[in-house]
Amino acid sequence: MSTNPFPYSDRPDPAELKNASRRRFLRQSGLGIGWLAAMDLFNSDLTRSMAAEVALVNPLAPKKPPMPATAKSVISLFMQGGPSHVDTYDPKPMLAKLNGQHPPESFGDVDFQDSKFRESVILGSRRTFKKYGESGIEVSDLFPHTSKCVDDLAVIRSVYHEGFTHSQAQFLMNNGWPRIGRPSMGSWVLYGLGSENANMPGFVVLLQGGVRTGPAVYGQGFLPAVYQGTSLRNGPSPILNLNRPAGMSKDEQRDMLDTLGKLNEEHLEERNSNSELAARMASYELAFRMQMAAPEATDLSKESDATKKLYGLDHPNPKTASFGGRCLLARRLVERGVRFVQVWSGDGMNETDWDGHKHCDQNHLDRALETDIGVAALMTDLKARGLLDSTLVTWGGEFGRSPTCDGGGNGAGDSSGRDHNPYGFTVWVAGGGVKGGKVIGTTDELGLRAAEDPVHLHDLHASLLAFLGLDHTKLTYRYLGRDFRLTDVGGKTDLVTKLKA
Amino acid sequence: MKYFPVGLIVCAGVVSIAAAPQPASSNTSAQQILAANCSMCHGQAHMSNLDVRDRNSLLKGGIRGPAIIPGKSADSLLFHAVKRDGELKMPPSGKPLSAADVETIRKWIDSGAPWSATAAPVQEATWWSFKKPVRPAVPAVKDSSWVKNPIDAFVLARLEKEGLRPSPEENRRTLIRRASFDLLGLPPDPKEVDVFVKDDSPDAWEKLVDRYLASPRYGERWGRYWLDLVRYADTSGFETDHFFPNAWRYRDYVIDSFSKDKPYTTFVQEQIAADEIWPDNLELEGGIHLPAKKQEDVTRRIGTGMYTVGSFPIEFTYYGDQWRAEWESDATDVTGAAFMGLTVGCARCHDHKFDPIKQKDYYSLSAFFAGSEEREIPIVSQFDILTYTRSMPLIAQAEAMKHMLRGGGRGRRAAGGANAGGANAGGANAGGGGDATARGAADPQGEAPAARTPGAMTPERAAMFQKLGELYARLPDHYPTANVLAHSEFMPETHILGKGDFKSVGAKVEPAFPSFLNPGPSIEEPKSGPFVPQRRKALALWLTSPDNPLLSRVMVNRIWQGHFGEGIVRTPNDFGRQGDPPTHPELLDWLATEFASRGYSIKQMHKLIMMSNTYRESSVANPDGLKKDPENFLLSRMNRQRLNADEVRDTMLDVSGNLNLKMGGMGIIVPLTKEEIQAARMPNLWPPNPDPREYNRRTIYLQMKRSMTLPMLQTFDSPDTALSCPRRDTSTVAPQALTLMNSEFSVAQADKFADLVLKESGNDPEAQVNDAWHRAFGRMPKDDEKKLALDYLSRNSLPRLCLLIFNMNEFIYVD
Repeated sequence: MSTNPFPYSDRPDPAELKNASRRRFLRQSGLGIGWLAAMDLFNSDLTRSMAAEVALVNPLAPKKPPMPATAKSVISLFMQGGPSHVDTYDPKPMLAKLNGQHPPESFGDVDFQDSKFRESVILGSRRTFKKYGESGIEVSDLFPHTSKCVDDLAVIRSVYHEGFTHSQAQFLMNNGWPRIGRPSMGSWVLYGLGSENANMPGFVVLLQGGVRTGPAVYGQGFLPAVYQGTSLRNGPSPILNLNRPAGMSKDEQRDMLDTLGKLNEEHLEERNSNSELAARMASYELAFRMQMAAPEATDLSKESDATKKLYGLDHPNPKTASFGGRCLLARRLVERGVRFVQVWSGDGMNETDWDGHKHCDQNHLDRALETDIGVAALMTDLKARGLLDSTLVTWGGEFGRSPTCDGGGNGAGDSSGRDHNPYGFTVWVAGGGVKGGKVIGTTDELGLRAAEDPVHLHDLHASLLAFLGLDHTKLTYRYLGRDFRLTDVGGKTDLVTKLKA
Repeated sequence: MKYFPVGLIVCAGVVSIAAAPQPASSNTSAQQILAANCSMCHGQAHMSNLDVRDRNSLLKGGIRGPAIIPGKSADSLLFHAVKRDGELKMPPSGKPLSAADVETIRKWIDSGAPWSATAAPVQEATWWSFKKPVRPAVPAVKDSSWVKNPIDAFVLARLEKEGLRPSPEENRRTLIRRASFDLLGLPPDPKEVDVFVKDDSPDAWEKLVDRYLASPRYGERWGRYWLDLVRYADTSGFETDHFFPNAWRYRDYVIDSFSKDKPYTTFVQEQIAADEIWPDNLELEGGIHLPAKKQEDVTRRIGTGMYTVGSFPIEFTYYGDQWRAEWESDATDVTGAAFMGLTVGCARCHDHKFDPIKQKDYYSLSAFFAGSEEREIPIVSQFDILTYTRSMPLIAQAEAMKHMLRGGGRGRRAAGGANAGGANAGGANAGGGGDATARGAADPQGEAPAARTPGAMTPERAAMFQKLGELYARLPDHYPTANVLAHSEFMPETHILGKGDFKSVGAKVEPAFPSFLNPGPSIEEPKSGPFVPQRRKALALWLTSPDNPLLSRVMVNRIWQGHFGEGIVRTPNDFGRQGDPPTHPELLDWLATEFASRGYSIKQMHKLIMMSNTYRESSVANPDGLKKDPENFLLSRMNRQRLNADEVRDTMLDVSGNLNLKMGGMGIIVPLTKEEIQAARMPNLWPPNPDPREYNRRTIYLQMKRSMTLPMLQTFDSPDTALSCPRRDTSTVAPQALTLMNSEFSVAQADKFADLVLKESGNDPEAQVNDAWHRAFGRMPKDDEKKLALDYLSRNSLPRLCLLIFNMNEFIYVD
């Protein structure tokens, strides 16, 4: 057996080819331990040899990272709609000075979605910035709670990419490619590292509502379906179709599965090339176990009152409580060995996610109220439980926002929106080996473009993978005749040293 | 017949398909050895950046450094690679170079690696799929009694060479089930199974195949495959997920084309260039009815709708050039994948790394689509159009009233269809309603005051509703239209785009066939006089000419895959160097030439395949075959296949007696459950059809939204419609089990299934079990099964047993 953890990344040699289709099947079946249990049922040489093979190729079995790793799991806090960097983590006093004026010619021109930079007028931030923590990093008053954790954050103020619409940018930030069809980062990580929990999906997405790009943004693209992100909800039915049909008790379902197993055995007995049949039987046992494991994982009621309060579960604003619940759920999942969790803020509609086209300040006040408590709680709680050391936390949206008024606005009332700005914006990372309390990179004086130490989104992805012990140039998958990777043909990792130092 | 890369080697008792280089004779030069063994990948294709076709390139080497160091074979990477004593072993698969050839290479390097400039230039070996198929002789076999038709001879000859035997013929009940799923995508009618099993006539099988081929269900099953291939969907995807109101006409065109057994070449020509090849559809003047010829040509032209249903980032193509670049690129990619079986898409940004497809070839191919654009055209006579346009004032009035009644909200998108545009714009004035509503219509923010929300019914509004209803009653239906390809006002130039970016304009190119494929004639365009573009016509005729080595091979391979689960080439969209070699190259070429000689009849190819003994082999492997050839490359048995997403859903509906076999028409939106709808961004973009009978239509008639796939279908690996999907995945994941055990759909169908059984078999449990098995599997339960089922039924209800049956392996695997 090849020692290469990604056996499909090399050109197939004859030994690979001869098992190609069986592997293809095995790669697609996310069966973990359940598979091996099922194999015990069938006591023949063939199934035994296949069980051995499965043990080697079970796609979700945890894999040792090929490079030294400081992080084991990831929690990505995704602020859908695109939070304004100049109102949150990247203070720009110049904007206040030039408020209401057209930008100086020296800044040139760029296209935003609805407006052109040169033709618009500058919109000064209405937030006040203060230095926090020992590091003295400036954060705006939108985040009174998160600002207390600033010594754990590495604030990258110079992220950039090329997509100025939501769909392009969400795909870029999550899939490294501006359109549908590529695996999301969570899928790549699961493909590279497997999952520590065989009874739960290894890549979980916690949504507030809709997603502008649709589910493809957390999809597995051309990777086998076993690597897809699974959307999990709070409450008793966290996974689609997880609940038994109305009126069926657990014992009744067990009865059905036992009879089903025996009937499938009858069917199997007459057939000898049966790996996929046996795998399917095992998938029913996994489904049955999931029905118990998933509600346990998503049941927040067992948490202490102090924890519930920390995460704002009792907050009068239901969206604050709901976001806090998703953050708490993220911690519970990571605790249980889930590899990659993505928590979404915003439901994909302009006025109720971070897409402040009309009245950016009010929009952001609302969003901050919804998310600040949860984000801070997650950081505090992870740290207190010793999970922060092995959990990489990231915060950001699909882009930042323009220093100028959107759509010809003059800065008053509903004309005080900000347009999309992918040319320079803020993402912060923490935990998992990242040394906090630092700022990396800058934007120019208006916050228009990344200036010093620019970090392209491929560089960001490459670096995050490196913290997990994955080399972005080697984490590849062959599809339609080409080796694909998260970072396409780009990606530098010099950011890693800066984040660790 | 010699095939370059394909040989059969037996290692450790296991059959493997791998490359076998051509042997070089003892007095060949190093140059010849390199040409024969290495240049296929390290020639024009520059794999790993290495080119072995001249000395300087060898000195420079590839990504691993210099290939040769003259005078020092021991330090030369090339020598160790062919000697296979280091990490790098070349050729990477198949037979190593002979010891004599390795020795020749060693001596050559040690003697300073002289290069003969006068020797004939190294001829690059042509990749097998780029050579025209030549009809091979049907091979002789030892056991000629097994040979029903030449397919069997090719398959058996290979098996005999390996000392393997084909599996015995499958039993009749399994065979009819296999045939039914292969041709109809549905299980066989249980009564038909019994008739077939008892039919002693020698042509019972042939009659069955003929009957299935004639069934309307056939077009749906194979149309589905084609729609996957051309990345069909009803919306554009991305954030706006724009609705394509006429996409379904293309879907129906595809189903109809398969049903009518349209010659494959015609089918291809119509989709690429029906408007240019059969131009009698551009002016639809005429009397009350369209003349038959025009009607026929219009129908053909709907085939070009294929180029109007791709995923398209409407919201970020703000510039005309960008829009065009995106569209032409989608057109080029889908043409390459579907018709040529090549991954041309790679060459959008750079020369193809492995296949000899230059970036220039890509843009030359895309230039065939320059000057073409999507247009919505009427598909009825002028008379019908006139009936509608005469009512335009009424339509405008109705639109205006609708607008006001809605509170004058800013429409997020046009409603689709031709009737959306102009009428809306004039609305506010034409309607002339009360003050409040007029202000409402002008409100740019669409923030409707409470008085104008739909809930608040004032006498004014009620009167307006009444008036609108009366108006509607007088309006004619909008005349039918189709979205097809047409020509733009001018012919834009095509340029190579650096890295595929529309802003990075490089050298100008003309339309040309790919240089590596028998490039054919250059495209002559009239320099003066009235200009009728003929570019796509030229492309279509070239692709379907006998000179194109790929068309037939690629299509017969797809048909084969539809029966055996795997193609003869197991990478159906990649016949290039990165693709798998054919397992039966001679058979592939025999089928390709047979396809041509049978007038490209797809149905005849189905029949030919299904009449072979190979097709009728049992899927139970014989021990030798399983041991030596576990992947079944050599077809010593039939491959067992899992139903695809559409088939799972259709079969559940069918077995429970619920399947609505209505054909054609606008795509159906079925309601989502409360759980499912949470994943939809804007639930109002998922408006279920009002008529619940429509929910049980075959899956091919459901609307395919790129932004959201019906969760059940997604779980069973339905394609994402981003790119051509030549073969569906068959994953096995726990959410599939959850879907079949727990979903509302599954439980509802189980209830209906139980009703049916109860009606037929009454209250006798044994009769119920027999009937349920017969309906689900076309057979009676075995004694053990009956015992288990009765035992279960003694504790559980009949609907629960029916639910259990949906979950059995036999339900979704076909032997």
